[in-house]
Amino acid sequence: MFFFRKKRGVSQNKQSSESSPDLKYIPSSKKEMEMVIKSVLQDDTDLVIKSLQHPGKELTLFYFSTLTDRKIIQKSILSVLQNLQAPSPSLEEIEASLPIGEVQVTESLDQVIQTLHNGWTLLHIEGKTNALLINTFGMKERGLTTPENESHVFGPQVSFNESLATNTGLIRKYIASPKLHNENLEVGKITRTKVSMLYIEGVASEQNVNTLRQRITELELDQLIDSSMLVQLIEDNSMSVFPQMMLTERPDRVSAFLLEGKLAVLVDGSPYAIVCPSTFIEFFQTSEDYYVRWNMATFVRMLRMIAMFLSIFFTPVYVASLTFHYEVIPSALLVPLAQSRAKVPFPPLFEALLLELIIEFLREAGARLPTKVGQTMGIVGGIVIGQAAVQAGFTSNILIIIVALGALSSFTTPSYMMGTTIRIIRFPMILLAGIWGGFGIMFGFCFLLIHLLRQSSLGSPYLEPFYPIRLRDLQNSVVRMPFPFFSKRMVLTRAEDKGKFNAKRAKQKKDIDE
Amino acid sequence: MKSIGKPGEHQVFSTFFLFWVIIESQIGMGILQFQRKVVQVAHHDAWISVLITGGVIHVVVWFMIRTLAKYESADLYEIHQHALGKWIGNLLSILYMAYLLLLGTLVLRSYIEVVQTWLFPEIPTWLLSSSVLLLTVYGVLGGIRIIVGVCILSYLFSIALLFFLAYNLPYADWRSLSPVMEANFQELIIGAKQMAFTVVGFEIIYFVYPYLKEKKKAGRYTQMGVLYTTLIYCLVLVLSIAFFSEGQIKKTVWPSLSLFKIVQIPFLERFEYVTVSLWLLVIVPNLLLYLWAATRGMKKVFHWNQRRSVYLSAALVLAICLLLKTNLQIKFLGEWAGQLSLYLVFVYPVILYFIVLIRTRKQRKEVK
Repeated sequence: MFFFRKKRGVSQNKQSSESSPDLKYIPSSKKEMEMVIKSVLQDDTDLVIKSLQHPGKELTLFYFSTLTDRKIIQKSILSVLQNLQAPSPSLEEIEASLPIGEVQVTESLDQVIQTLHNGWTLLHIEGKTNALLINTFGMKERGLTTPENESHVFGPQVSFNESLATNTGLIRKYIASPKLHNENLEVGKITRTKVSMLYIEGVASEQNVNTLRQRITELELDQLIDSSMLVQLIEDNSMSVFPQMMLTERPDRVSAFLLEGKLAVLVDGSPYAIVCPSTFIEFFQTSEDYYVRWNMATFVRMLRMIAMFLSIFFTPVYVASLTFHYEVIPSALLVPLAQSRAKVPFPPLFEALLLELIIEFLREAGARLPTKVGQTMGIVGGIVIGQAAVQAGFTSNILIIIVALGALSSFTTPSYMMGTTIRIIRFPMILLAGIWGGFGIMFGFCFLLIHLLRQSSLGSPYLEPFYPIRLRDLQNSVVRMPFPFFSKRMVLTRAEDKGKFNAKRAKQKKDIDE
Repeated sequence: MKSIGKPGEHQVFSTFFLFWVIIESQIGMGILQFQRKVVQVAHHDAWISVLITGGVIHVVVWFMIRTLAKYESADLYEIHQHALGKWIGNLLSILYMAYLLLLGTLVLRSYIEVVQTWLFPEIPTWLLSSSVLLLTVYGVLGGIRIIVGVCILSYLFSIALLFFLAYNLPYADWRSLSPVMEANFQELIIGAKQMAFTVVGFEIIYFVYPYLKEKKKAGRYTQMGVLYTTLIYCLVLVLSIAFFSEGQIKKTVWPSLSLFKIVQIPFLERFEYVTVSLWLLVIVPNLLLYLWAATRGMKKVFHWNQRRSVYLSAALVLAICLLLKTNLQIKFLGEWAGQLSLYLVFVYPVILYFIVLIRTRKQRKEVK
């Protein structure tokens, strides 16, 4: 923003004097060019201006030393230019002699300024109004590592890193098709962050593509750092606690979603891709579900659903039944419950909130601590708090089991965002249970139900295979049917090309002894 | 006839979902306490009364669907305006709105009564009713598609309760059902009349009809829904008659809840407490549908903003809830509403059908 205002000011001044050429274009003299670039870029110390005395013409290189690869400039530009034989080489001749693929001829000063910031090098030739832009971008990037937050036992073990080019490449590696479209967008007036929108033409619904493009391009921001920020800006309802668009660090997962007719958004500098439209149930699925056999996947998915319900409702049910509805507890169970609670001076609500808070403290501390000290957490959590709290009579043993089970279940949710959401909604649930008992729990449940029904993801219903009921998508929700059942793409994405393969032939069976 | 506010493509829902809308609208607070009223009259043949009511509903629904099919996409309010003229039509529409709100109020107030009796005797009515109404308002503001979603999910989560009734089977004495047809015809008919108010709610078809994707199939799914509800009522009643003695049923206020007392799971006893809590899930779709239909009318008749009329009606329902203090008052209002529903839901649709028939014929002649 700042330098643009500056630039506009400069050009207006020059226009009024009318003596020098319009500064939208590159000046032909080297001195003027140097002046213009310096005035626009102020006193950036990492800007390098290198002049080469070539018989006949003076060649000047402009580039940022921090954004460019020194080796490329030395070997592919400087040494080539120094060895040029022609007495006064033309622009085309220089372009032909450079051993670099991405070279552009330009006259526009705007483009020069922008590309310089992207790590390109400008080659200016004395006396010419057009110049060469050479891609010399080179920056150290993090190597491709295994996914940390979405780790799998089975399947590909590579995750995105912070480079947009690498991430796009990772997806292109999975989908080697000319139909894979990569639309480049730009977000942020200052940061000018590169954002890529990926989709497969002929598969992704055009309406979805247009909606998403509109949502991204209509953003009026000055900055964008990460895709997790972008996702909050383009979501349907940013007030909700539930994430409505998927963030994933796995290229295999993004590719699978793209082939389903969804859209992906990559942000430069972010190792997470945004995938939309997403449904509630998808946050409880992993790509591993497709790599293992369908029966195992179905079992694990059901396990996760049970874990989600346990995590949200187990502690509230404990609080409600101990506070108000002790008639509900069978007498055989009442004895151990009463024994373990006999020493506890607090009401169940307070007891549960205390323990849940301790678990959250442990989790948050564990996430922030450096790994070297991390082991301490186990000791602190397990021995000090667990055992000591019971012996001191602060909480009951049974509640510790329940709370630990709830915490454990909440970590089975594959999506980090959804896992956090589930842990958060547990607290109002406990409070409601402590105030209104069973009625309170149902009140919270009904509210969640209506709330989830009201959400949408890129205009598609959030609770999709359940409401509206879509049998084809139900095959891949809580259960994961064998692959012959997935002959068609999801209804959710409203894919243009609905079929994946011939279902009849896939399901064909031979008669006995044929 | 063309209608004013024809719903757009993104507002309609599959006709298939109507099945659950009908079920959820018919099953509400009634199913917890209907046994006493019917058994008092028809004794152990009460289940025949239930079947009779079910048969009558099928006929009434047929009339309703035929009435609606005369128009391209109109709800009851628009049909009123067209068939009965502005004044009489709107008057009847207002009556219907009041009736819908009354139904909502009764459902809410009797649920609160159950909560106060079984769970929390001390909790004030205003707190419970305003909190449930808050939920309702939040749901209605989402529109009809959200409400249909609540109906379906509520069905999915509450249908499990039905299976828990199987715990009663070992204690059921099937001999108490015989001899069949001991009650005379008159008793059965009075029993069926007693049953009528319990199963109202299917008149919601009058209001959701414009929002159906394929209107031709409306009849099929409504009839299926009605049949399903009748069977559920019948099942519960047969089980109650087999489980309780006749004298017990007459003295029990909520026999269905007492049926759940038998349920025993290793970690759970006294299942009726769970049922009372879970029942919120059953009455919320009820309230949503009634409140939505009533406010729809306010939009059509008075041209009010529906959003604002939702708040207004919720406040009205809350006010009436607070006015009903004793069980006797609730019962009195319930009986009064029962009489009203008999005319508005069972008799009036048939009359309306013939009026519409005459009106549309006349129009066709005029056009010719």
